[in-house]
Amino acid sequence: MTSAISVRHLTKDFKMGLRGLKLRAVDSLSLEIPRGQVYGLLGPNGCGKSTTLKIVLGLVAGTSGEINILGFPSATAEARRRTGFLPEAPYFHKFLTGRELVRYCAQLSGVSAIKMESAVEAALELAAMTEAASRPIGTYSKGMLQRIGLAQAIVHDPELVILDEPTAGVDPVGAAAIGRMIRTMRDQGKTVVLCSHLLGQVEQVCDRVAIMDHGRLVLEGRVDDVLAQRDRHLMTIEALTPDARVAAESALAAHGARVRSVTHPRRSLEELFRELVTGSRDA
Amino acid sequence: MTFLEAVRQKFFAFLIVLGAAMVLSSVAFRFLDFGHGELKFIADFGFGGMFLFGSILAVVMTAQLFFAEMDNRTALTLLAKPLSRAEFLIGKFFGVWMILGLFVIILSALLGLVLWGRAQELSLLAEQSGRVAPDFSFRGLGIFAVLQWLRLSVVAAIVLAIAAAARTFLFAVILGALTVVAGQLQWIAQDVLLKPTESMLYKSILWLTSRILPNLQQFNIGDALVLDSGTVAVTSIGWVVLSGLLYTTAYLLLGALVFRRREI
Repeated sequence: MTSAISVRHLTKDFKMGLRGLKLRAVDSLSLEIPRGQVYGLLGPNGCGKSTTLKIVLGLVAGTSGEINILGFPSATAEARRRTGFLPEAPYFHKFLTGRELVRYCAQLSGVSAIKMESAVEAALELAAMTEAASRPIGTYSKGMLQRIGLAQAIVHDPELVILDEPTAGVDPVGAAAIGRMIRTMRDQGKTVVLCSHLLGQVEQVCDRVAIMDHGRLVLEGRVDDVLAQRDRHLMTIEALTPDARVAAESALAAHGARVRSVTHPRRSLEELFRELVTGSRDA
Repeated sequence: MTFLEAVRQKFFAFLIVLGAAMVLSSVAFRFLDFGHGELKFIADFGFGGMFLFGSILAVVMTAQLFFAEMDNRTALTLLAKPLSRAEFLIGKFFGVWMILGLFVIILSALLGLVLWGRAQELSLLAEQSGRVAPDFSFRGLGIFAVLQWLRLSVVAAIVLAIAAAARTFLFAVILGALTVVAGQLQWIAQDVLLKPTESMLYKSILWLTSRILPNLQQFNIGDALVLDSGTVAVTSIGWVVLSGLLYTTAYLLLGALVFRRREI
């Protein structure tokens, strides 16, 4: 089976000024994104990930290299028909209602008239936007804009969904909701490429990650593999008294192991926030 | 979508109001007819308003709608769909084309109303004084409206081709406006071409200029169509329509070609 996205030796140079100076945004990048997984594309600002996504979508031409989407050259309509895209900080015509926008995007994506209404409603439901779908987009919050953006990206039931910063500017509750939607899409068999700065969320939802820096790929692999420290172990112990601790450390030392640190487990601030404000949906 | 976006803009309403005010006020200024017939003065006033505000609308609205898609990055969402760049550009054009049609229809209807009202008054006066009553042709006004729509479509296609290559809205508007002026004066180049000259370079430049730029003056046959009905041959109108359609198609193709390589 072909990869969802296959990038081979992609390089992109931007010309700067009249002197012909070039800025290399992407430098000989090669990636194979497998199907049916959530793939995180990470990196600092200006590392070339957005340029890579734009080249993948045919919005910008690469200087050299080859990109295929689901076996089709990336610049073809056939590739885009199988792809859904949510741009960073999406902007939509404010006078449209959410439902009108999703229907318009479905028409552009070639959804047939017979399937139109069911496709629109299914996309709105997955994005949890059914209730607000009749409101003009101009009245939406940031989180709702991202969710309606997600609905327009998936209305034609694409095999590949590319999300550029889907949780930018969204509060943790809304971000968690988007995380759930991403997992639902994976469960439906879709490939999701996620470009985000929220590393906590990427860690939670992604199966694989790639990290870019200065246009180059610096790390790629399964999330569990790249994060695991195989030579360290973490034990969570309840009711540890000072005496028990000394005894445990002695027992471990007898087997050649050494306790490096003993700390209290912490919840993340995001977990605490979500726990406290549960129920106040982003509406 | 482009039409819906354009028709909501205050700029469109503003130009409609200005154009309508100019057409309606022509009756008040008819004493300035410089010895010509009153109906001719009213018609010329209306034609002028339609051309002036229509050209502003065609240039500014086309550039504005194109750059709104680029600057707001809605183009990113749309072009990530299985939609070709040419389809995107042609969609923009048809949106503008419809808004220009609406503009021309409203102003032409108003002009027809004003001309009809004054013609009724003048025919009563003529009956009393035993003179021949002046008249005008509604059919001629209809044909003139179609020609104006076509002229503004040519302008919109040119501006779209410029915008496809331009980096800024301002550049597209300024160059578009200059092209309209050059198109209005293009007949001068054609006129000079008819005169003998020894310089082949001069002649070549003139020839090229007169072919690249459409002659927008050829659409100015309102007087003949509206006031001297029947004096314009159908074939002449056909040639003007054909020329307008060819220039519109050519500039749209050029725009699509340029836009194909643009980085979004």
